[in-house]
Amino acid sequence: MKEAIIYNLKELVEDLAASDDLKREWEDFLVNLADAFSSEDKDERIKELFKNLLDFADADALIRGIELLNSRIGGFPFIEMLKFAVEALDGIRKEKETRLRELNDILAELATPIIRIWQDILLVPLIGTLDSHRAQNMAEKLLERTASTRAKIVIVDVTGVPMIDTIVGGFLIEMFNAIKLLGSDVILTGIKPEIAHTLVKLGVDFNMVIIKRDLESALKYAIGIAPDKSDRKHGRKRGDGDEE
Amino acid sequence: MKSKVVPTIKLYDYLLVPIQIELDDNTVERLQMQILHEIHENDVRGIIIDVSMVDVIDSYISFVLSETAGMAKAMGCHTVICGIQPQVALTLAQMGIRLKDIITARSLEDAIDILDELD
Amino acid sequence: MIEVNPQDYDIVLKIKDESDIAVSRQMAKNFAQKMNFSLADVTKIATAVSELARNIYRYAKEGYIYIREKEAGPEKAITIEILACDEGPGIENVELAVSGGYTTSERSLGLGLAGIRRLMDSFHIESEVGKGTAVIVEKRRHAY
Repeated sequence: MKEAIIYNLKELVEDLAASDDLKREWEDFLVNLADAFSSEDKDERIKELFKNLLDFADADALIRGIELLNSRIGGFPFIEMLKFAVEALDGIRKEKETRLRELNDILAELATPIIRIWQDILLVPLIGTLDSHRAQNMAEKLLERTASTRAKIVIVDVTGVPMIDTIVGGFLIEMFNAIKLLGSDVILTGIKPEIAHTLVKLGVDFNMVIIKRDLESALKYAIGIAPDKSDRKHGRKRGDGDEE
Repeated sequence: MKSKVVPTIKLYDYLLVPIQIELDDNTVERLQMQILHEIHENDVRGIIIDVSMVDVIDSYISFVLSETAGMAKAMGCHTVICGIQPQVALTLAQMGIRLKDIITARSLEDAIDILDELD
Repeated sequence: MIEVNPQDYDIVLKIKDESDIAVSRQMAKNFAQKMNFSLADVTKIATAVSELARNIYRYAKEGYIYIREKEAGPEKAITIEILACDEGPGIENVELAVSGGYTTSERSLGLGLAGIRRLMDSFHIESEVGKGTAVIVEKRRHAY
């Protein structure tokens, strides 16, 4: 096999390379392929070669290449090579999927900042479409932050959310209820008609959540009810001599 | 009365109940009786249950806590819970559990402030 | 009913005393923690097991909870599987029991099964009156 490829190398490269600048790549590929046939880890190496080839050629070119080799070289393991090609393509697809997932996670992270905007007040501007994975991830982070900062009020601004489905709406309501269980209040602001529709259909309890028309009035309200720490200690009625 | 399930602290006219043990069904029921007796004996106006050490609160535990708060209410006593861990809060919310008759507070200080304002 | 081979599972818990509820909850928590679930998911899993154990104790008096780690779905996600089974009275109206707000026992919220279903990613129940009940639930581990 090795000899057959090397012997026909020039000719094969000529037929395979679509343009002159790809000749080098095809030549390297064929030489390495010929070499791989006699190696111990033949399967792995060939798959790797196919993967590298797909960096400069598309799947069609790879298949055409395998077909050409099959017609020119006697005893070429056609089926096996096609199998490797499929596996190489699958490998690339999986890598892409992983990358996409990572990017999505990064995006989710960036799109969900939790800002301590005032003493005892957290602001969460939600941006973009929420899916259930992102919503759950956000709920965990927000609950953690609310507990650790002991924020009195959490303002959730959904101005940047185009719409939500019932599953995500359900997650949001659960998140609000969970925040209430920590003893903090939730102010929801920036609700568009679509979101109002979903939330009410889901049976959001407006006694649990304070609604404000826009971020400005939400902030005004929040600052108004946030306890001022300098006052608090004088508040004790039974504090005998508790002066500070 | 039998031995206390949880040592409690009387603070002003509030009863502080820090739960620092694993709550199995039997314990949580005995705790209910203990709290009710202490309200009665000590002229307590408010109960503060601190659950910051509790890492699982399931439907039964939350039910008994709510039930206790209802009974305390019947005796003229408010119940505030504080220190619910964030992951416990998420779990309760996801199960759809509401702590009926219980006020939630962010911290012990917050709980006392809330009770003070309820006069 | 479901055939179970205890050897297929990482943890086997016998539920027959009230105190076994708290023990099973603790065991589930430790196992989920070792599997690297997020703290929120560890709590959800432990809570679900607590509910399952209580159902066994309340209605069937005794039964078993089996727990194992496995890979699920085409993406082979790390998953915890919990199987709770008993040879108790069984549930007459499974759909109603799962829909929430239903209970045959006093002093409970009646959220047991519905709550478990909400906490987990998948939920499957088989029940036959007079024969017993089996509940299988799963939760996948998410990469955060």
